[in-house]
Amino acid sequence: MLRRIMPLRWLNLPGTLTLVAIAAVWEAAVRSGAAAFEYLPAPSAIGVAFLELVRSGELLANTAHTLRSVLIGWLLSCAIGLALGLLFGLSAFARRYFLASLEVLRPLPAIAFLPVALLLFNFSLTTELIVIVYASIWPVFVNTLGGIVSVAARLHDVSLTLQLSRARTLTKVLIPAAAPAIVVGFRLGLGTAVVMAIIAEMLGNPHGLGYAVVSALQAMRPERMFAYVLFVGVLAIALNACLVVASRRLLPGHTREAARA
Amino acid sequence: MPRRGASLLLSGLPALRGLLPLVLLLAAWQALGPHGSPYFPPPSTWWTGVATLSRTGRLMPALSSTLVTFVLAIAIACILGGAAGILIGRSAAARRALGPLLEFCRGLPPPVIVPVAVLVLGYVEGLKLVIVVSVAVWPILLNTAAATGALSNLLGDVTRTLRLGRLATLRKIVVPAAIPAFLVGVRGAVPLAIIITLLVEMITSLPGIGSLIVLSQRQFRSAEVYGLLVLVGLMGFALNSLFVVVEGLVLRRWPPRASYAQGG
Repeated sequence: MLRRIMPLRWLNLPGTLTLVAIAAVWEAAVRSGAAAFEYLPAPSAIGVAFLELVRSGELLANTAHTLRSVLIGWLLSCAIGLALGLLFGLSAFARRYFLASLEVLRPLPAIAFLPVALLLFNFSLTTELIVIVYASIWPVFVNTLGGIVSVAARLHDVSLTLQLSRARTLTKVLIPAAAPAIVVGFRLGLGTAVVMAIIAEMLGNPHGLGYAVVSALQAMRPERMFAYVLFVGVLAIALNACLVVASRRLLPGHTREAARA
Repeated sequence: MPRRGASLLLSGLPALRGLLPLVLLLAAWQALGPHGSPYFPPPSTWWTGVATLSRTGRLMPALSSTLVTFVLAIAIACILGGAAGILIGRSAAARRALGPLLEFCRGLPPPVIVPVAVLVLGYVEGLKLVIVVSVAVWPILLNTAAATGALSNLLGDVTRTLRLGRLATLRKIVVPAAIPAFLVGVRGAVPLAIIITLLVEMITSLPGIGSLIVLSQRQFRSAEVYGLLVLVGLMGFALNSLFVVVEGLVLRRWPPRASYAQGG
């Protein structure tokens, strides 16, 4: 899943037509009453609801809340995950005596922490952030650790030959060599942060897009719910695309750059 | 998703002494923690909490409901995702036509599917299963489709030279080549399916561990909440380990070959 499996080519005509056809069939099915679902809104109704949400500023406010939580949580988990990953990657002592304790916690589904966080912090931003950070640390940690530990032995020899100090070995050799893995960790962490923010807002912190979707369910307003859901999908894809572009800028194609040099 | 190399590396390390900090932490919590605290109940009470749930007959039905949903959902997602992945992967036109739709489904954060399904389908029998399948199927489908798509140019000549029929091509070339990527998809789907099963139960209060833990939390029975948290952790660990065992068996039967490795 790390690599883009089906690259979105611009002007994918058959792909666009498929989407249009689905929308048309959906619209026709709802209008003619052929769709047997009471709460399935027509695409046109979803569009109207979306415009309404934009106009009233509700969408913007909810998006701002979710984005803020995601960014705070993601930055925190990047910092913690990177620090832990470097610590465990560099210290055999830490790996020997502490790693298994973390490994036991890793398969614990983060969503199960939500009730504990609720118990401790009630419905609050803290609850939301705890769940986001706890879940998003893991991809950053695992990828950083994996990246550092699997740095080729050859590179260790290089730093020995050049008599680099430990600090310079870290900044000049290890981190650059592990950078692609670390960046992948950051990107996966962002995806996790978005998912966990929405879960936390559904159950633990009644604000933001996650809560908007659930309250549309409770209010039986399917057209609003679909508008939010489609928007959340586009938002998540856009966030991921931002990071893909940013990581390409940061690490301009190892192989390509090397070949040109 | 943690990468394969990293997780192999971690599982190979000596485990027991590494567990020491966790054990010490729990022991210190038990010895020094405030007794009767509504927020940090000592670990010994966690066990009592879960034992009470078990004795009153609420634990086992919830646990089995969650496990049955998970196992069935993964099984159905494997069949659907594998079959649809191969169908889509085999046809370049299908890949192009469905590309944007699949990209969207992959990018959509899975939790938002839950309220949509609840509202549109209503509280029907098997709602939990439908939701978990509809989330777990994507990583499997997309990985299988990618591996199958990468293969078609490569081994097409072989099938033509050997004059393999459609079925034989499928059985001898396509399926074995798609299996490593398929397993990577399942590896992504397993934790996702656990999370979504719990989420559905939490949101809808349908019977299961998720609704049980939320109920305990709402009634401030904190020992039960912590006890169930440990139980969910053990469940996650067991299910992931089970997957690793099954994966090992499958890979022994269909070992990945370098000649068609670009999909995984």
